[in-house]
Formats: sequence, structure tokens, C-alpha cells
Amino acid sequence: MNHIDAKVIMIEKKDNITLVSFSSQNQNLKMMSLGLNTPIEEGSQVILGVKATSIALAKNLSGEISMSNQLPCTIVSLNKGELLCSITLRFGDALIESITTLKSASTMNLKLEDEVVALIKASELSILEVR
Amino acid sequence: MMIKIDISKKLHGVSQDMSLDVKLEIKEGEFLAISGQSGSGKTTLLRILAGLEDAQGEIVVSKKVYLDAHNSLATQARGIGFVFQDYALFANMSVEQNLLFVKKDTNLAEHLLHLTGLSTLAKRLPHSLSGGQKQRVALCRAFMSRPKLLLMDEPLSALDPKMRSQLQEDILKLHKEFSTTTLMVSHDPSEIYKLASRMVVLEDGKIINDETPKEILLQTQGSQKFSLRGELLEIKKADIIHVAVVAIGQQIVEVVLDAKEAKQFQVGQIVQVSTKAFAPSLY
Repeated sequence: MNHIDAKVIMIEKKDNITLVSFSSQNQNLKMMSLGLNTPIEEGSQVILGVKATSIALAKNLSGEISMSNQLPCTIVSLNKGELLCSITLRFGDALIESITTLKSASTMNLKLEDEVVALIKASELSILEVR
Repeated sequence: MMIKIDISKKLHGVSQDMSLDVKLEIKEGEFLAISGQSGSGKTTLLRILAGLEDAQGEIVVSKKVYLDAHNSLATQARGIGFVFQDYALFANMSVEQNLLFVKKDTNLAEHLLHLTGLSTLAKRLPHSLSGGQKQRVALCRAFMSRPKLLLMDEPLSALDPKMRSQLQEDILKLHKEFSTTTLMVSHDPSEIYKLASRMVVLEDGKIINDETPKEILLQTQGSQKFSLRGELLEIKKADIIHVAVVAIGQQIVEVVLDAKEAKQFQVGQIVQVSTKAFAPSLY
């Protein structure tokens, strides 16, 4: 599970659904949640979690895309298996990991120091802890 | 109507003596589930309310004093209905006679039997009924006196899951129709969630939790709403990732871990398996 330190900047509610906006490393993040009962308010410092297998990567991203979270990152290491590839990314001063198929990594020709965008759906992001 | 309970009683537990101390206010029409480990005092509490056991303190049901420092009202005078795990029907009386024994009110008996789908069995003797049917009769019988308070001690625990679910529907129907304030001892989370509007958890004779069933029963991990406790059985390596095998209840599930997580956990550890409510699917 990747841990991302963030600050709550906005909370929107409708029925049982909550949309929370965060700021982390000068980027905005959004989380979709069901019946949020974590005690947070605007300004709360939290640790966000996202599974490595839920992070997609894009290079030279253009056009429209519905992914709420688009984090500019730099590749700091690649661990290639036979089928899968684990990619460690620097996001500001944090490190996050993405797991993709090896095929995707090769097709995109991912290599050290590449600038990529890490894509995370709002429903894949969760609050692990309130500080 | 309001029920005020403020009682205490010394109990000789299996491993140690303890004191049952319960202070509760229950609103009219409330359906309260009482849960807790065996020996936590649940059944004793019901027996004290019924007047089958004495205790120190006070019990007042809609301004009628059941128990105080000077008096303890007899069980028969309390106007309470009971349903226990064993049906306790009169074997030599028909279904209908079992109900009419409590009160000679044929209209009410017919209505109750109709509500619970027992009308065609009215003339049958208990021995010819299934467990579920017997418990339905016991339930109807408890409503014959139009009790102010209904006490149920694990009423459905002897029944199979399908029968249990049908009886839960009947209990819900009767509770809606009569708005009887109900206290039910139960261990079954789905039963508590379906029936109760409030839940208290007893531990060593004390109330340790008093909330809505959802607040107590829904296990969460931060904003992750799908959370189950399990035992970590194995961590297997698969290419560059790891797969954890976790036993949850009678089932085994697999969870993909990254390398850091794989190092963080030990086989045999009790873990919380959780994900957001968006990820799982139903089939």
C-alpha cells in the first residue's frame, strides 16, 4: 500500500457519498467515499493509501481523461519480473510504487528518470489515518 | 413510555466473580439487541427484568415500578412476554389452545396465526410441527397478553439459516404491528442488523458499547468500508508481487501485496483485510 501525506482542502457531500479534495506535494487529489465516518475537516492532515496495482502510468499524456488524480512523477527504479513490472516513482519528496504488466512497461519504453503521470481513480484512493 | 433500568447484582462467573451493573433507558417501541460473550450477563439481565432473579437497584416500566429498594413485582404482574430458544409449548394442547391459554381472545389468536402463516395449523399438536413452526407459535403466544415488554433470549439460534431468516421476517412484522418494546439477546450480526434499532454490548457485566447496530457491526479501516478480520496463513511469491492467503471465517481469500507489505506481515498474524466499498462485486 502506498502512503501519501496530504491535507484536506474541501469536503463535498450528497446522501451517503462524500468527495474529499486534498493537496499533496502542490498537487490536488480527489477521493470518492461511501458514508465517510473518519473524523476529518478542512485542514486535517491525513495519510492516503492506494494499492500499487491501482496506479496506472502515462507518458506524454494529452486529451481528456476521467482520472481525478494525475500526479507528475519521475521514475527512480524499475523491477522487471517475467510478466509484471514494479516501478518506483518520485512524487515531490515522496516515493510511490506502481505495478503494471511488463508488456506495458516495454511498450511505453519506461526507463530511469522518465517523466510520467501516475493516474489514480478517485474511488481507489482511501484515507488510512488522520494525523 | 420509557423503561429505566439501573440494577446491579453479584454474579459467580465461570472463571471469576463479577458484578453485573447495567444502567439503561429504553424508549417505547425500541428494538434493543443485547450482545456479548457467554458469561457476560445477558441472560441474567433478561431474567432480572422478568422478575425470575432478584437484584439491587431499580426497574421502572412506563411509571410502573417493577423493582426498587422495597419491592419486587411478581413475574406474572409485570406484563412481559418471553421467547426462549426452546419453544416451551404445552404438548397436550393444540396450537390455538396454546395461545388461548394465555388469554381467551380468539380474534387476537386468529390474527396472530394469520400474520405468521400458521392459520392452517391451528388445530395441530406441537409434536407434529417443525422447529421453525413451533418457535412461530411461541412467538405468537408471547404477543397474546399484548406485553409492554418482550424479552427474547437467542430465540432463533436453534434453527437453520433459512428458517431463521423467515422467523426474522415474522418478528419484524409483529414488532411493526404491536410496537412492543423488545429486548433480544443475539449473537448473529445479520439478525441484529435486520431487527434491532439499537445495540448494546455487554462485557463482564458492564455495557461497553451502546450504538446503532451499523455503527457497532460495520468494521472499517479509515475510509475503507469493506473490512474483515482474518488469520494470515501464507505469503506466496508470484513473479515480482506477493499473494497473501487469509482465512476469514470458514473461507479463504487471497490478497495481492507489494514487496514492502510482504515483509511487514508474519504468517499466523491476525490481520484486517480491507478495501473500499467501491471495489468488491456481488454475484
